Amino acid sequence: MTPRLRILLLLVTALALEGTFLDEFRVSGVSIELLLLVAILAGYHGGPERGAITAFFAGLLHDTIVGAPLGLHALVYPPLAVAVSSLEQRMLRSAPLTDGLALFAAVVAGQGLASAVGVLFGVLGPTTDEFVRQAILAGIVTAVVAAPVSRVVRWATTGDLPDTIDVRRGRA
Amino acid sequence: MAAPRPAERPRPTLLLLAAAALTLLTLHIRGAQPLDAFQQGIRDILEPLRSVTDTVTDPLQSVWNGIFGYEDLRAENERLATELARLRGRTVSDDADRELLERLLGEVGLDYTELDTMVVRILGTPPGNFGTHRIEVDAGTDDGLQAGQAVVTGAGLVGRLEQVDRARSTVMLATHPEFLVGVRLVASQDEGLARGTGRGTLEIEAGIRLDAEVGWNEAVVTSGGRSLLPPDLPVGRVIDPDEQAEYERTVVIDLAADLEGLSFLNVVLTEPEGDPLGIDVGRSERETEP
Repeated sequence: MTPRLRILLLLVTALALEGTFLDEFRVSGVSIELLLLVAILAGYHGGPERGAITAFFAGLLHDTIVGAPLGLHALVYPPLAVAVSSLEQRMLRSAPLTDGLALFAAVVAGQGLASAVGVLFGVLGPTTDEFVRQAILAGIVTAVVAAPVSRVVRWATTGDLPDTIDVRRGRA
Repeated sequence: MAAPRPAERPRPTLLLLAAAALTLLTLHIRGAQPLDAFQQGIRDILEPLRSVTDTVTDPLQSVWNGIFGYEDLRAENERLATELARLRGRTVSDDADRELLERLLGEVGLDYTELDTMVVRILGTPPGNFGTHRIEVDAGTDDGLQAGQAVVTGAGLVGRLEQVDRARSTVMLATHPEFLVGVRLVASQDEGLARGTGRGTLEIEAGIRLDAEVGWNEAVVTSGGRSLLPPDLPVGRVIDPDEQAEYERTVVIDLAADLEGLSFLNVVLTEPEGDPLGIDVGRSERETEP
């Protein structure tokens, strides 16, 4: 399977899951931000360029199912993917706890930025308290499902890349 | 771990993507129809899958809500018990209430319950976490609905249809901070532009004269005219007339319709005639019309 096809499959599956199954299970009215998670993990696993492109299309699909103007989340997700990729390359050590916290922070940032852009373009009202609550809860519930999603995104985004030598952990 | 290839150029790519996103966003906000149709098409493709998932996950959802929604359910139960007790206690004042309603409808000059409406069932909140004060209902363009139509309950205005797909629609609740509606104060006949506050009330931001006699508990209805919504739909009652205002008067309205614990709604099937962007107009602009 070609890398583009893998990413397409990943995005379509994430869209279907977020729009159907995951939407049924909310915690205090907040659901898992699967497409945002895919965008973040695409930056983490696929590098800045591939991550940004994947994140852009994830953002467009997210705009479509949540009923936001087309381009709103697509404006936010690519810089986030590039930032995650850049931070990942600068991290000296990686541990599940720090990865989880970084992912939580990235989801909160993504959700918060999308709300801020919504307010900027007059799509959302300035109800800051609600945005903060939503962003934090979304960060928590999304981080819970990150591990299995990470494996799938890694498969999709590193399809044709050469094997990496991870010197930080001393293994090939 | 990420494996950036030597040929990767994230900065130009990022700039290109940002430009594309901004272009799409600007076009969409300015009302480009193909983009709406694209989004609606994808949602329509997903719709059968969503309906099946709704049905299949019902038992699981009940368990989930039992675990994570227990506090909400208990609060809802308490609220309903209080409401029941209040209603039992109000039988004595029923005659007075009926008289008040008849007087209000008489003042309005229209029984809004006679409007042509369609009953729709509430499905829940729209997918994702983008924004609040929106709910999804189980009817769409296939049932003759269209964006902008008013949504009411027996008590009054609830909101308006914002997005209408083939089999589902999204209702923007009147409490949404972007919800705008032209309203009229029944006693003083002043008209103004009311906006949702995000806290269960509306505020009339413009149009009410500083010297207008606005009473506590005064009834407020939609003003019609160039508004998207039909005239004379009950909106609520004044809970703060802002009598001390020196420059700009902000009258606070408590919604007549209770937005908690709703299951069914009525969509008023009159065609919206106002501004397609949903921006209503206040008194001053209306008065300049020939």
